[in-house]
Amino acid sequence: MSANKITGGKTIDIVKNLPRINLANLRPNPGATKNETHRGHGMHGGNKSGRGHKGERQRGNRPRLGFEGGQTPFYLVIPKYGYNANHSRRPQYPPFSLRKLQYLIDLGRIDTTQPIDLTQLVNSRGVAIQPLKRDYGIQLVDEGADIFCAKVNLEVQVASEKAIAAIERNGGVITTSFYDPRSLQVLIKPVPFFISGQPIPKRMLPGEDLLPYYTDANHRGYLADQDQVQAARLALAKKYGYSLPDITKDELFDMLAQRKDPRQIFFGLSPGWVVNMEDKKILKPTDEKVLQYYGS
Amino acid sequence: MAASILSRRTAVLFDITKLNSQINFLPAVVQQIANYNPRPLWLNIKNPYIPDKSNEKTPDWQKTDKYDRKRFGRYGQASGVDPAQLWPSHAQLEEMIGEEREWHPPLQVMLGNIAAKEKERTAKRMEREKIIAANMAKMPKMIADWKKQKQETKQKQKEEKVKRERLLAEATERFGHAVDPRSAKFKEMVAEIEKEEKKKRKLLKRKKREDDAGLSPAAAESSQ
Repeated sequence: MSANKITGGKTIDIVKNLPRINLANLRPNPGATKNETHRGHGMHGGNKSGRGHKGERQRGNRPRLGFEGGQTPFYLVIPKYGYNANHSRRPQYPPFSLRKLQYLIDLGRIDTTQPIDLTQLVNSRGVAIQPLKRDYGIQLVDEGADIFCAKVNLEVQVASEKAIAAIERNGGVITTSFYDPRSLQVLIKPVPFFISGQPIPKRMLPGEDLLPYYTDANHRGYLADQDQVQAARLALAKKYGYSLPDITKDELFDMLAQRKDPRQIFFGLSPGWVVNMEDKKILKPTDEKVLQYYGS
Repeated sequence: MAASILSRRTAVLFDITKLNSQINFLPAVVQQIANYNPRPLWLNIKNPYIPDKSNEKTPDWQKTDKYDRKRFGRYGQASGVDPAQLWPSHAQLEEMIGEEREWHPPLQVMLGNIAAKEKERTAKRMEREKIIAANMAKMPKMIADWKKQKQETKQKQKEEKVKRERLLAEATERFGHAVDPRSAKFKEMVAEIEKEEKKKRKLLKRKKREDDAGLSPAAAESSQ
């Protein structure tokens, strides 16, 4: 269609009257595309079936990805440095959102009338912790902070400021505490540990790297001063603009005030005790030295 | 707390299903505990295996402390293990205490270490900042000096250039043709000019001294 054929008309009028462009109206210029060579339709895909001529390629015996015929491969020549250095030795804290916590509470998988610990979360299958993979606990993430509405006594290992605010706004209590890998294994799987017949170990203190975190009242650390924690609660309420409910007047105040000793792994059980599941008995040591060790 | 933690299989096994039944009578709204159906735990508790420690045929690992503890944990008193064995012996305790002393210092010591490190870091930073501040205070003067230096060098260069041109002009005047400044003749000429200049300066100095001397006795006389 060219303007020459139309007498007295303009190109623009023609274009205006043409149908809208869509895939049905489009076509590549002749010579722009060339058909791909497909493998033959013979048996096994015809002739060499796209496998090449002889050798490892055709016989399917190529070495692993990254192998360079014996030369030290690129991925081994380059040393680990900087961002990824010592990645396998860093403590990991899988995230646990407030949304998930609310979900578990709503479904009745977690009992809010008791302190919520990592044990409770693992029992309710809310988190999966792998202490052998350098997991040191969970970090409370603030996704779902605006819909969170449960009053809990929560203990996690790391918590973001907004998450702390969300918990305290609903009249709850949050603590961040440290568990060394052995204590963590005991904490998440108490029954297999009791079946092994060992006395409950005492929790170790965090190293010098993590100690500043757990002695800080702003992180609600378990080693922080309680007065500072109270001040921090008020300050946080001011910062986020909610009125801090007075938990002393709460009916569940005793439960909310329950906190573990820095050396304790389970509520109500001291280090050094042996819990026997078969006899349903708790055995406590009487030897002085043993008591001294576990009591220190 | 107990009922909500233990799964049903443990409840069935250890015969404490009665605890849960109380909760089943509560209305659904209040019922807070969910139940699971885990796979059964096949534990042979009725006829526990008690290894014969005196027999040589029993494997070594069945004669260890660890295995005794495991047996006690599984079968309880029926395993025949003396509960006192469960805790570490005095020797083992000593080891554990020594290890802890070495690798796990007490809280106060660690806090002290952290404080010391922090102090060191801040001290270093303050030192560095002091030096920086002192040097920054010197900066205006240094800038001015540098500018002056630059100006002087420029001035000198200009003077040098002028002088060289003058000498070249002298030389061409004297010898009548362009002379290479590096040649011996040129250097001789330069030396001559310098000598003449020196003489002139000396004459000027002498004159000045005579004038001063002349003036001062005259002044002395006039004053007197």
